Amino acid sequence: LFYRYQDLAPQLVPLDYTSCPDVKVPYELIGSMPELKDNPFRQRIAQVFSEDGDGHMTLDNFLDMFSVMSEMAPRDLKAYYAFKIHDFNNDDYICAWDLEQTVTKLTRGELSTEEVSLICEKVLDEADGDHDGRLSLEDFQNMILRAPDFLSTFHIRI
Amino acid sequence: MSAYRNSAYEEDPDYPDYSGFRNHTPGYLKTPGPLNNSDEPSTRSSPYPAESRTSPDYLGSLAEPDYPGSQNNPAYGGTRSHPYSAGTDYTKPLAEPDYIGSQRNPYQPGSSGEPDYSQSQRNPDFPGSKGSGNYTGSRINQDYLDFVGESDYPGAEENLNSSGPRASSNHPGSRRNLEHASPRVKAYIDSLGEPDYPGAESQANYPHFFGEPDYPGAEDHQNSPDFWGEPDYPGAENGHDYGSSEDLEMARQMLNRTSSVQPPYHHEGVSPLGTLGREDVDYPESIEMQSVEMANPYPGAPDNGYVNPAYVGDEGPGPAYGDPPLSGHNWLTSPQGQKLIESLIPMTSRDRIKAIRNQPRTMEEKRNLRKMVDKEKSKQSRRILELNCCAQCLNSISLAYRRFKNNLSELLSSISLWQKTLKVIGGKFGTSVLSYFNFLKWLLKFNIFSFIVTFSFIIIPQLTVMEKNRLQFTGLEFLTGAGYFTNTVMYYGFYTNSTIRHGSSGASYNMQLAYIFTIGGCLVICFFSLLFSMARYFRNNFINPHIYSRGIAKLIFCWDFTVTHESAVKLKQKNLSTEIRENLSEIRQENVKLAFNRQFIRFSAHVAAWVVSSGAAISCCVAVYYLADNNLQFLENHSNPGAVLLLPFVVSCINLVVPRFYSLFRLVERYEMPRHEVYTLLIRNIFLKISIIGILCYYWLNIVALDSEECWETLIGQEIYRLLLMDFVFSLADSFLGEFLRRIIGMRLITSIGLQEFDIARNVLELIYAQTLVWIGTFFCPLLPFIQMITLFIMFYVKNISLMMNFQPPSKAWRASQMMTFFIFLLFFPSFTGVLCTLAITIWRLKPSADCGPFRGLQFFIESIYSWIDTLNKRRSYPWVVWIYQNLIGSVHFFFILTLIVLIITYLYWQITEGRKIMIRLLHEQIINEGKDKMFLIDKLIKLQGMEKRANPTLFTLERRDSEQWGSLLVRQHDAARDLRFRQSFQEDNPKA
Repeated sequence: LFYRYQDLAPQLVPLDYTSCPDVKVPYELIGSMPELKDNPFRQRIAQVFSEDGDGHMTLDNFLDMFSVMSEMAPRDLKAYYAFKIHDFNNDDYICAWDLEQTVTKLTRGELSTEEVSLICEKVLDEADGDHDGRLSLEDFQNMILRAPDFLSTFHIRI
Repeated sequence: MSAYRNSAYEEDPDYPDYSGFRNHTPGYLKTPGPLNNSDEPSTRSSPYPAESRTSPDYLGSLAEPDYPGSQNNPAYGGTRSHPYSAGTDYTKPLAEPDYIGSQRNPYQPGSSGEPDYSQSQRNPDFPGSKGSGNYTGSRINQDYLDFVGESDYPGAEENLNSSGPRASSNHPGSRRNLEHASPRVKAYIDSLGEPDYPGAESQANYPHFFGEPDYPGAEDHQNSPDFWGEPDYPGAENGHDYGSSEDLEMARQMLNRTSSVQPPYHHEGVSPLGTLGREDVDYPESIEMQSVEMANPYPGAPDNGYVNPAYVGDEGPGPAYGDPPLSGHNWLTSPQGQKLIESLIPMTSRDRIKAIRNQPRTMEEKRNLRKMVDKEKSKQSRRILELNCCAQCLNSISLAYRRFKNNLSELLSSISLWQKTLKVIGGKFGTSVLSYFNFLKWLLKFNIFSFIVTFSFIIIPQLTVMEKNRLQFTGLEFLTGAGYFTNTVMYYGFYTNSTIRHGSSGASYNMQLAYIFTIGGCLVICFFSLLFSMARYFRNNFINPHIYSRGIAKLIFCWDFTVTHESAVKLKQKNLSTEIRENLSEIRQENVKLAFNRQFIRFSAHVAAWVVSSGAAISCCVAVYYLADNNLQFLENHSNPGAVLLLPFVVSCINLVVPRFYSLFRLVERYEMPRHEVYTLLIRNIFLKISIIGILCYYWLNIVALDSEECWETLIGQEIYRLLLMDFVFSLADSFLGEFLRRIIGMRLITSIGLQEFDIARNVLELIYAQTLVWIGTFFCPLLPFIQMITLFIMFYVKNISLMMNFQPPSKAWRASQMMTFFIFLLFFPSFTGVLCTLAITIWRLKPSADCGPFRGLQFFIESIYSWIDTLNKRRSYPWVVWIYQNLIGSVHFFFILTLIVLIITYLYWQITEGRKIMIRLLHEQIINEGKDKMFLIDKLIKLQGMEKRANPTLFTLERRDSEQWGSLLVRQHDAARDLRFRQSFQEDNPKA
């Protein structure tokens, strides 16, 4: 995996990694990995796993990302990071705005605005356990629990 | 003394906390409160004395080591006068009898709980105070609650420093105190109705040190608008409650302390957070002890919020208030982190690693966490017993073993089959198609295992005594399996019935027993691995199917991250949007009922489809039966060796054509849900295939076997070989010709059809069919797993190529993992159990052919076992085997009892599951209720705030903090709710596990 990381920016990352562990690979390079290149959520993924939220990653962040995305990672851990990825404004809740972002990313803006808002309404209706109008982490986890495919789909093969 | 402290306080320029705190002061600057000392004595009778009392204690303990000896309050009061005489202003209040009286009231524990806070919080402020000093200080505070451990207290000299702020806060002379005091006074005038409140100033600093309150109840908040006030105050208001919660807390604290909170203090210096972090480490520990209490809705975060900005300086108060995971580095030092560390310590190393791995933290934090825990652990173990050489040796061995295992698994994964191909498939077609290939791979592993077992236990021994094969080899044998192959290790008939013995002294090898035990063992292992994988899939994928809803949410949040090809992503996005649209329109039209006649038409269409499909299946079975029946005569009349291929050819044709015919029904039936369509198709197909196999088995066992041909086992083996091979050829042809033609038609001629989609259900059923044949055939033809291995291997590549060339990704979201469970279930239930039945009949009821195979000359196959037991019995060499056989396997009573026990256990589990279902429902209701409560409280709070704002707009900043507190309260509530839910899911896991 280190070689993958190194390949991203051979000029930035020295082979002897231990000598300078603070090297960061900019988001532009992370986002152009074949695994992430076409993922609609690539920017969010990079942001969530990078240390300061700007998408630039150290090797540690990089390893984190792929360990969470691996097959071995437990469901709760995956759910936690999936939640973070969908939480666009980082407020620890998935609110309607986050949902709209998600839907537009997923459908590349093919749906009309009222369709999008209807979807958000439905999703909130479905998953919001305590009826506070937004999805908290546990709402999300609970919902993920009911979607058995989640484990296999929230997974990036290397 | 007080003067000294004051000066210390002011001299200290680095006191970041203080300055930080002063940011808030502007709001409080107008101080109407009476601040002069002369009032103080009178306030001693107010609920606050507790506050001032604690500080005197503190002083007293510094001055006087004997102090702890006094257990009861009056004595306490007496000793109190001691330090106070040294002080300037405080003598009077101490002399005050009211004061002592107030000490005795229940409020006491509350107030005594307080020093912990002030102290532990203050300590880190002072760079001069050592970590250990802090620690002892806070620890003593715990003891202090019990009035026992005070003797330690004076020992820590640094406490003098750390007590500075507190002392100054008590000291009315300090200017700043005056400033800070004002808001407090206001608050208390409201809430307590205490007009004479000069004592307030002495406490004024407190709130700032505490940052956030430890309010036991929300009511307290509402009483005192000054929310960020300090814990003592609510305590004063409802002393009883507070006291009781403190009691609880005390118990917990003691517990905590006796467990291993302590060590982190000692090695915090090495902790990766650096020197700043060092104090950080200290501090939450002591806080944490208190934060365990239940009554306290938000113990951790507020404290955290207080310390972090002051000391680490790299984060604002916002994150500290938010969900704990947000708080970055400091998370480790937060109460949650400490709690986690504590809980990690007693675990075994493997559990610990697992638990750490499951934390949603970054790598660095995990590493730090592990370091801390390890140190903790080594500390403990060193304390208990020094590691001796042996243990070290063991340790290093286990470490080396772990490393070796890691390396090995790395190596294995690197050579793991088809990793790249699977990735490409997943990237282009998504998880659902991938699941077919995974299933194929899984079956391949199964067959490799069976082959290894049969090869090593049956085939190798037979090869050592093989006779020369005199039959001629022509090419056709590959298809028919007859001829040359008849006299090879491939078939049952070739195996010897003798005991193999090389040389006169070599160990003997009884072929009969080897044959029956190998096949039996193979099947048993298959049985268990199937059972376990099925159970695992069930647990993962059907955790709570009863609340399975249609779920747009799932569509949205279950984006397939495995898909990586650009065009595939675009296609998927498009499909997703159409699916969402369909879903929406369904929701819109949900209430529109179909007219009666349309319903009737649909219903009759279903019935007709079912009738036609089962009719087709039955007629196919009948055809196969008659064909097979006449096959024997037909073969006698035809000398052409290729004639034997007729039956397999027909069966494969049926298997090829009828499923496609079934899938045409979709045009007539028009299911609303794609899932229903898939399931119906699956049921029909499996019905067809299993009944064909059943008919063939009947034919083999009842006609071929009873006809007593020269070697009927070999004949059956050949037949199965031919079936398998024909099936393989057909699917090859189908992939290369059928799918290719379909593509050409779709692309060139009728472009409206477009590319076809990969039919996962049909393909998987083909695999299941072949696997069933292999299992049946293993007994008659031990090499069948090997053949199946090869065919699966080829199939993988063929399907892969065909998929890449001829198909497009599926448009519907497929519940791949659920379907996988279903497939494995199908593989287990009709197919594997059917195989077991067939083989059982063969072994117990049929007469082996007289002059071939290992069982020749016996009445039944099973008699080989009987005779073996008999010989053992006579020889008395292995009495336990005989005993097991006679008392367990051969005994009816044993099975009766076993069945009874299993039934009872099943019933018990069923009841437990039912109970948990009720529990889950109740907990769910509770969550909803809590949500409502929360909303209600927030509403009320907002109202109150509005009122307050109108009353006094200068309190604006205060209210802002309030709302932050509320935020953190909400976070707590959420944590609790998540806890509940986690437990719920855990409970659900359990019965199935």
